[in-house]
Amino acid sequence: MAGSTTDGTALAEMILAQGHSSYAPWLDRGPHLDLVERRALPEVRAEAWRHTNVARWYQAILEGSEPAREAHRIENPAEVEVVDFADPRAAELQEQRGEETYRLTAQPIAALNALLLGAGIAIRVPAGCAAREPVRIFDLPAAYQRVLVIIEPDARIELIEEPSTYTHRLVEVVVRPGGQLVHRRLQAASSHRECSLLAIRAEARACYELSQLSLGSDLRRNDIIATLAGNAANVSLRGAWRLDESRHLDNQIAVHHQAPGGTSRQTYRGVAAGRSRAVLNGRIEIAPGAQQSDATLNTKNLLASDTAEIYAKPELEIYANDVKCSHGATVGAIDAEAVNYFRTRGIDEHTARALFVRGFLREAIDDPDTAQTLGLIQ
Amino acid sequence: MSLLRVEDLHVEVDGKPILAGIDLAVDAGEVHAIMGPNGSGKSTLANVLAGRPGYDVIRGSVTVDGEDVGTLSPEERSLRGLFLAFQYPIEIPGVSNMEFLKAAVDAHALARGEEPPSAVDFVKRARVAAMRLQFDPDFLKRGVNDGFSGGEKKRNEILQMLILEPRLAVLDETDSGLDIDALQIVADGINAFRANSNAVVLVTHYQRLLNYVVPDHVHVLAGGRIVHSGDRGLALELEERGYGWLDD
Ligand SMILES: Nc1ncnc2c1ncn2[C@@H]1O[C@H](COP(=O)(O)OP(=O)(O)OP(=O)(O)O)[C@@H](O)[C@H]1O
Ligand SMILES: [Mg+2]
Repeated sequence: MAGSTTDGTALAEMILAQGHSSYAPWLDRGPHLDLVERRALPEVRAEAWRHTNVARWYQAILEGSEPAREAHRIENPAEVEVVDFADPRAAELQEQRGEETYRLTAQPIAALNALLLGAGIAIRVPAGCAAREPVRIFDLPAAYQRVLVIIEPDARIELIEEPSTYTHRLVEVVVRPGGQLVHRRLQAASSHRECSLLAIRAEARACYELSQLSLGSDLRRNDIIATLAGNAANVSLRGAWRLDESRHLDNQIAVHHQAPGGTSRQTYRGVAAGRSRAVLNGRIEIAPGAQQSDATLNTKNLLASDTAEIYAKPELEIYANDVKCSHGATVGAIDAEAVNYFRTRGIDEHTARALFVRGFLREAIDDPDTAQTLGLIQ
Repeated sequence: MSLLRVEDLHVEVDGKPILAGIDLAVDAGEVHAIMGPNGSGKSTLANVLAGRPGYDVIRGSVTVDGEDVGTLSPEERSLRGLFLAFQYPIEIPGVSNMEFLKAAVDAHALARGEEPPSAVDFVKRARVAAMRLQFDPDFLKRGVNDGFSGGEKKRNEILQMLILEPRLAVLDETDSGLDIDALQIVADGINAFRANSNAVVLVTHYQRLLNYVVPDHVHVLAGGRIVHSGDRGLALELEERGYGWLDD
């Protein structure tokens, strides 16, 4: 092996040789082990990894460069149940989760999360709960970590993932009928190589809203799968990112309408400067029988330098006939006319561009204060 | 010394000559009107004065208070007191009028060596100006020109002028597309702005504005040159006879 790159096979061998993690022993790791034994981890040029060199992430795993941490750092209102995955109670909550929120064959690297898992928490928001304070996840003490969130019927809460580092984070969210989750994910600029999978199941009349702000990492991949599994579910995904230097952010997002009458809204705004690379693959899938689904995806992107790269691709797969569906993707430059307009009012070019970018990103941001604190907008 | 002096100004865009030797001197306290057929170069002149990139000045000079501004950036010109009201103001969604104006006012204060105004003082000032131009109070929160009607955009240019208090305001067809009431509001704004220390250049196609804002001089720009100058009577004559007779 050349040393700087590695493929899934080398990684599989390492994992099989050292054995899987013994953390949360109740977790059924059979399918994950099987996937690794079959050497079914993604290859470097796999279609799903077109824009991200998965070998660079594998390399980070082999190097095990993740710093050790001591404890969960999480804040939650008293009425919310929070359980460590080491606790057998977490197994009960996992049981309550019900069917898979994602398919392992479509998300093979999630197998590594299970096999190397070092930290996990299960969060249950009891039926009817309307907590005013959010649940805040600051840090989980391992490189491979997972969060299970169950919003019981008619419960309502806000969940905030504060910036932290990891090698892989899996977040599973189940919103039971009539439940509501407002989910904010903040991803600060980082020199780590990080992957995450966020898998959501929204049941009947459930409402899930994501707002994800990201500054990219040395390598960052965010996979999101949102399934509208019950009638009249509502999913809104908003994302804003701004990359500079040689940061990398690859968003692979899929929304599945599996039941009738669902509404999904996807709004993304991205800016890439320096030699950065931003990717958005947004997929809408409407299953047969998911009539009267209403789905939109809108992404606009700005190239702020000649050397940055942006790939934005919406995809539709519609198997029902009575649906409303629209999508649009644009990649453009910072509007020179707008910058000139600012400048004729005495505003210097640098500030003018920053103001323009801020205005642009705001179209996908519902909380400018947080975005500002994070440094996403200046 | 003239506030603005344009001498033998030749300008090309992508190698195509557009201004072919403009001479113009504007003194403090004066209002000049520039009229002329479509495509004659009026907006080009206005944009070149404001320092917009993309225009090649082949020959000639532009001085403000005796200083050659030819090599200055648009923001430097603004900070020296030049203001351009755009013929087609730009929409900037996501940036509120308030932020935009504050950024501009702060830049001007800093350039004068002053502290930027406090947020409270600034908001007061902006509200007064907004009221004068008959904008709703929530106007300041809306995105810059975002979804504004044509007339609202023009009024917003005048509002910016009143807040920035330039020495020389070049208003490019600020009267076009205004209803009768809005024209009055804009004219009142310009008249309130006028002072012995500043000057106004009005680019217009219509004599109507000049009934409210009486110019000291009227110029006709055609084919990239000022082909005729006169007093306000010239505007009335143009309205009656068009531009054809000037060729003779
Ligand atoms: N960026 C440009 N590229 C090419 N041609 C240009 C550019 N800007 C101006 N022109 C041309 O220069 C000429 C003068 O345009 P300008 O906008 O200055 O006219 P104007 O007198 O303001 O006209 P109007 O009364 O219609 O506003 C026109 O023929 C126009 O097409
Ligand atoms: Mg014009």
